[in-house]
Parts: sequence; structure tokens; C-alpha cells
Amino acid sequence: MLELADVHAYYGNIRALRGLSLSVERGEIVTLIGANGAGKTTTLRTILGLVRPRRGHVSFNGQRLDGLATDRIVRLGIAQSPEGRHIFPRMSVLENLELGAFVRPDRDGIAPDLERVFALFPRLRERIEQKGGTLSGGEQQMLAISRALMARPGLLLLDEPSMGLSPILVETIFRIIEDINRQGTTILLVEQNARMALRVAHRGYVIQTGRVVLHDTAAALMRSDLVRKTYLGEK
Amino acid sequence: MTALARIALVLALLAYPFVDRVLGLQTVHAVSDGMIYMLLALGLNIVVGYAGLLDLGYAAFFAIGAYAMGLLNSPVLGSPLYGHAWSFWVCIWVAAAVSALLGLVIGAPTLRVRGDYLAIITLGFGEIIPVAIRNLGDVTIEIGGWRPIERLNLTGGENGVNPVGRPHLPGVPFETDPIPWYFLILVIGALSVWAMSRLRDSRLGRAWMAIREDETAADCTGVNPVSTKLLAFALGASFSGFAGSVYAAKLQAITPGAFEFQVSIMLLCMVVLGGAGSIRGVILGAMLITIFDRVVLSQTTFLVRAIGRASGISALTTIDLTLWRWFFFGLGLVLVMLLRPQGLAGRRVRPVAAETDDDAVVPETPAVTPRKEAIPAWLRARAGGVDGNEAVLDVRGLTKAFGGVMALNAVDLAVPRGAIIGLIGPNGAGKTTFFNVVTGLIRPDEGHITFAGTSLVGLRPNAIVARGIARTFQSIRLFPLMSVLDNVLVGEHCRLASTVPGAVFRPPSVIAEERRARERARELLAFVGLAGKDDDLARNLPYGDQRRLEIARALATEPRLLLLDEPTAGMNPRETDTLTDLIGLLRRELSLSILLIEHDMEVVMGISDRVSVLDYGTRIAEGTPAEIQRHPRVIEAYLGTGYEAEAAGRNAPR
Repeated sequence: MLELADVHAYYGNIRALRGLSLSVERGEIVTLIGANGAGKTTTLRTILGLVRPRRGHVSFNGQRLDGLATDRIVRLGIAQSPEGRHIFPRMSVLENLELGAFVRPDRDGIAPDLERVFALFPRLRERIEQKGGTLSGGEQQMLAISRALMARPGLLLLDEPSMGLSPILVETIFRIIEDINRQGTTILLVEQNARMALRVAHRGYVIQTGRVVLHDTAAALMRSDLVRKTYLGEK
Repeated sequence: MTALARIALVLALLAYPFVDRVLGLQTVHAVSDGMIYMLLALGLNIVVGYAGLLDLGYAAFFAIGAYAMGLLNSPVLGSPLYGHAWSFWVCIWVAAAVSALLGLVIGAPTLRVRGDYLAIITLGFGEIIPVAIRNLGDVTIEIGGWRPIERLNLTGGENGVNPVGRPHLPGVPFETDPIPWYFLILVIGALSVWAMSRLRDSRLGRAWMAIREDETAADCTGVNPVSTKLLAFALGASFSGFAGSVYAAKLQAITPGAFEFQVSIMLLCMVVLGGAGSIRGVILGAMLITIFDRVVLSQTTFLVRAIGRASGISALTTIDLTLWRWFFFGLGLVLVMLLRPQGLAGRRVRPVAAETDDDAVVPETPAVTPRKEAIPAWLRARAGGVDGNEAVLDVRGLTKAFGGVMALNAVDLAVPRGAIIGLIGPNGAGKTTFFNVVTGLIRPDEGHITFAGTSLVGLRPNAIVARGIARTFQSIRLFPLMSVLDNVLVGEHCRLASTVPGAVFRPPSVIAEERRARERARELLAFVGLAGKDDDLARNLPYGDQRRLEIARALATEPRLLLLDEPTAGMNPRETDTLTDLIGLLRRELSLSILLIEHDMEVVMGISDRVSVLDYGTRIAEGTPAEIQRHPRVIEAYLGTGYEAEAAGRNAPR
């Protein structure tokens, strides 16, 4: 479904990705694990066209993405819940969600999907008229994920969805990620909480200094020494 | 600049007017005028470039300076100072002081607004001043039949003021020769550049830039935004007061037309073209625009006309490009914004990496274990301050509602000296609001906040920092375009004493203070594991380093209480461990009291002495970590039932 082949990307003169390759098959949850600065977020930004790769290519359902404008890529069915949320602070919760559905051709499907995200996050229904910027950090996180879901994407990119959430919500979020996936959405998940990420994912890639150093099924990664020591915090 | 280049520059500046005379170029007058505009642009740079306050009406201050000189030193307006041998030298100081005062007056109402709104207000002032000057030439006030003021000529109206007194120095021919003017303006300009560069590198300069980068974060780091912004307006205006008064005396006449809105825009063009915030850039921008305006446009007009005559195109033979000057300025501004928004000589904001090292990558965060020995001695010496086990922070009945939402509902919380208190709760429970109320960003509706025996309610954030409370933010709020070292130095702001004259003249006490401040900042950076990154821009640091820099900045304010808002969010287990060690060390070694919002239960339960739980703005539980972990309401609202299994699973393989 999604394929990155030998992607090199730069910020100024800093090489953020150094020949990164990965693939995501339809129906999967795939997770990217790595330290801060390893290139996980850059990978997502490259998929969305926010960073242009200098070498290599990105394709989605057989179509080249590199070189396309971001809004075109989103129309092809890729949505992101960005790290740091980036919700629209002066618009209401409802308006944020409606904007998430901006690119959808099926206007009739929007109302049921609003119900669907409110069922996933009842807190958002309570705050429906509130301005996005006045929500607490965790609520903004819920809103960012919900806004991405409103696009009904074929591929959902999640960047640190559990960041800043209470333990009970972290569990809920991961349960929701599995639910969304069961309902047919393919997911690429970037997460610091490697334990939870590997628990819900089918496969995972370990990224260090801009390239993949290990990839395997999630269960196998869970058992690997590198992952256990470096990313699961076991001593 | 090397010493050789410096000497060459000085010699060139000194020799220029005499070379001009020998060659008969007669450009000294024009160059002197250009230098006046350069001085104005440099003054504007303090407001726009350093403090980040977009001022669209700066020519108003230029007018104030010029008219102050005119009023004080013109026979037309009946000034007693006119004709005295010393009066010009008195008047330029008075003009600068009047301009600075007006800077304060104009600055004061704009303090609460930023960005677009500030620009609109200054635009208004820029329009008001020339109109007022035009209409104050003939003032009659009539109350009933009584006329207390009749046909008072305050400004000379549309005709302006003419003549204005010239400077007197024994043996110097200011009346006949352009060269003394050149040197007068050169000296004033050089002294201004010297003063400005010293201001930029001082405690005040850092505060300006901190305000520009993030006003809220600056306030919470101990910088008083009100006085800092007012100083930017006042000092920026005072330089235009010098420029205006010299301009008036040199031209011997002033008319309101010289201070129109376009002048403000031209000055802004100079600052933006060269690079806001860079003295060299602004000088470059002013030179380019002046040369373009005075030389290139007129010479090109001749050229185009010649081409028109040669090729027989009659439209070209009558063209006058100087009428198009504003067209070209506008076009230039658009092009600069599109191609090089930081200006020609502006600071590069993109990350700069070793260009030769092709393998340079974003460095991964190294896990530097914080060591007890690395704690700066001065920080240790400042530790404590409150004796015994009484509460450092005591909050009673704190209540805050946003519209109908009770963000905080009669919350009690006490932090004993040297204790780590965890504050947890579901998302949206009011934890960050609690921090914002304690640090003064939000006023509580009800309740008492007592810190070390005194009430904090009603104090501004920077005053609360000065009393010894520092914080970090949930979403990191550094000063992104300032260096790592400067970020920490802003933290020390409220512990430093240097004033404006101190910053400019640098007496030994200020030099010693600044050196000590830098030493302290470096020690703090080494302590949190950021040694050797002094000159990196804060925004180019990896995420984990930014979190630690924020803590170093908070420690630089010499706090007794530290409020940490989700310090380990987004960190991997190794980084989290390092940070947890650091927090423990601060408490153990420095008796620092810490209030900690955190969602990583391993961290909270591992290092907190006691834990408070908020839900919907109400405290639902308080106790030791063990008690909280078993508390049924906390499990239901926050921890979830999976938590215990998760915790058990995490601890098992150890």
C-alpha cells in the first residue's frame, strides 16, 4: 500500500533520513520505533510531502507521492495526527472535526463519522462548542486524532498519539487504534511508548540516525535484545 | 571584522570628505543625509529587530526630535535659546529626551497588544503626528468671549520652522562647509552604533529578544514585559530624537512633509532589507536604499532617456524613474520577503551543519547521567532558604472557572520544603491550570496562595519568579532563535542588576556580573548534560535536549520551588530514567521543593513523597504513592484497571 525506497531527506544541511526503506501493507498496523532525532517524524513528514526527499521515492497504491503537494496527498487518502497536535486553536471542537472532513467527497458519511468519534472520545462531545485552544493538552490530542479520522483515510499516520495522556487514556487510545484498524484503516504509528506500540502493531521498524536498523514482526521485536534494552527500558 | 579591516574602514570614513573635495564630487551633503536615515533605521531596529514590536509609525519620533529642536532653537517660534553659542548642544539632548518620553507615552497603551494590533496602533500615531504638526501652526481657543490663547504658532504649520539655529564650535565653519556636518553626524552615528551593540549584548538586550521570541515564557522566566517593552520604545525613540534634531539643524528648516507615513515605510524597508536584529544588516540596508534612491534611480533615468533618443522610442525619452521610487521600494520589499525573509545580512535560521561532513546526521540524544559533583557550587549555596518542615507553598481553596467550566474547585495543596509532590489526574482535570494560577498567568477567582509566608495572589509572573518559583511548560517553550547559552542567561535575568547606563558604559561591576552569569550558565548546562552546545540555536536541539534546556533555564532563576509540567512527555525510557535521576538529585542535594505533573506512573510513583489527584477541578485523593495506587476512585478515573498488570509486567524482568 505504502512504500518508501531508499529515501534521503535533509533539513538544511543536516541529513535526517539516510536511505530509509519501509513498506506498509493494506490492513496492517506498522510502528516506527527510535530515539528522539532518529528520523521518525521526518519519515511521516516525507510521506505527506512536507519534506521533499532528495533521493529515493515514496509511493502509495502504486502512485508516486514524492513531488506531489501535501493537499493532493491527503486527497489520495492519507491523514495524519501530528506530533504536538496542531489543532486549530480559535475554532470550536466541532469546526476542527468538520475541517478534518474537508477533502471528503461523501458529505452524507460525515454525520455518522462524527458520532463515531464522539463514541470513541465522549470528552469531545462535552466540549463540542469550546475553542480548540482552550482544551487541555490531552483533550487536544484526542481532537487531533479525531480530526484525522474524520477524513476517513485509507492510511492513518499517528505521531506520538499517547503523548501527554493519562494512563487510562493511553490504554483507551491503543484500544481505539486497534478498533480503527479492525474497521479497515491501515495505520503507521510513531510512538515513544514502544511497549504499547509493539503490543498493538503487526510489524515494526527500528530507526537509528535516519535508517532502518531492524525490522520484524512486533512479537519478534519485543524479544530482541536491542529493542528490550534501548526502547523498552529493561536493564 | 579583522583589526586591519577595522582600521581601513575608519581611515576611509575619515578621508572620504577630503577626497570628495579634491575630486570635486560634492556628495558630502547627500552622504550625511543618508547617515541620518541610517541612524533612524538603527533606532527602529531596536523596536522591530530586538524587541519584535512592529512599529509602522516610527517617523513620528523623527518628527518629534526635529520639532523639539525647532521649538527650542528658532526665532520664528520665539525661543529664548536661539542664537546662543551653546544652544544646539543642549537642544539635541532635550530633543532625545522628549522623543524618549513620547516613546513611553506611545508605548504605554500598546503594551497589551502585539503583532497586527500593535502595528495598527503605531500606524495611527504615525498619521496623527504630521497632521497635528500641520494644524498647530495657528491655534485659537475661545471659551465664550474669552480667548486665553489667540493665534498661537506652535509648529509653524504647513510652512514649518525656518530658520533653525546651527551648532557653534569655535573655529568650525558649520555655516558654509558640509564637512563639519559630516563629522558631527559620523560621531553621533558611531556612538549610537557603539551604544546599541553594547545594549544588544547586555541583560536588557537578551530580555528584548526573549520578549520577541515568546512573551509568556519570558514573563515566566523573570523578565518584566512591561518595563522591557517600554524601554525598547523609549530607547528606540531617543535615537530618532538625535537624528531628528541634527536633521533640523542641518537643513535649517523643517516642514511637516518630511515626516509622512512613507518615511516610516522607507525606514522599515531599510531594517527588513538588511536584516532585522542585525546592526550590520541595517547599515547595509540603509546604504543600499539610499544609494538606490539618490544615485541609481537618477542615473538610470539618464540612461533610459539616452536609449530612448538613440532608438527613437519617444516614451522613453521623457521618463522619470525617480517618480517610481515607491514602486521600487515596494517591489524590493516583496522580493526580499519571498527570497530571503531574514534579510540580506540577517541571522540564518536554518540549521547549520558541517558542510564538509556529509555523514552529519541529526544527533541522537546521549544519555548523560546527572552527577552530584556536577551541581554548580553557587546553586548549592543558594539552596534552601526556608527552615524546618513547614510548607514552602500552601494553597487553600483555590477556585477558577472559565465560563461555566469549573477548572479548579476549592483545591488545597501544600508542598513541604524539600519534598516532591506529584500532581496527577485525567486530561482536562485542571492540572496545568493549577500551575498557571500559582505562577500568576491566571488570576484565581477565590483562594489563597502562600509562598514562604507571603501571598502570591495578584502578582505578575515575573514577580513570582523573583520570589523563587520557576516552571517548565507542557509543550516546551524555549526562546527558539536564541542560543542555548542565552536561553539560560535569560533565566538569570531577575538575579542580575545591570541597568541601561551600566549596559552601555560597562563599569567593572557590570563586567564582573556578566562574566559570573556566563560561568553560571555554562555550569548549569554542563550539569543537565548540554555542555559544549552554548552557541546552538535552541530550536535546533533535539527534543530531549530542549526539555533539559528548559529545566536549566528554570534553575537559573535560583528557585526554591520548581513546577515541572510533564517533563518526561515524549521521552524514551532511557531519557526518562536520566531525567528522573536529575529530579531526585535536585531534591536530595539542593533541598529543592518540586511539584510535578506527570503521566508516567513509574516516574510519579517512584519519586514522589506524596501524590494529589485532580478530577474535574476537584481534588479527589491525596496520599503516599502506595495509597494512591490502591485508591478506588483514582483507579476508576485515572489509572485504569490495566495499570497494575502493566506495572507488574514492567517490573518483572528486572
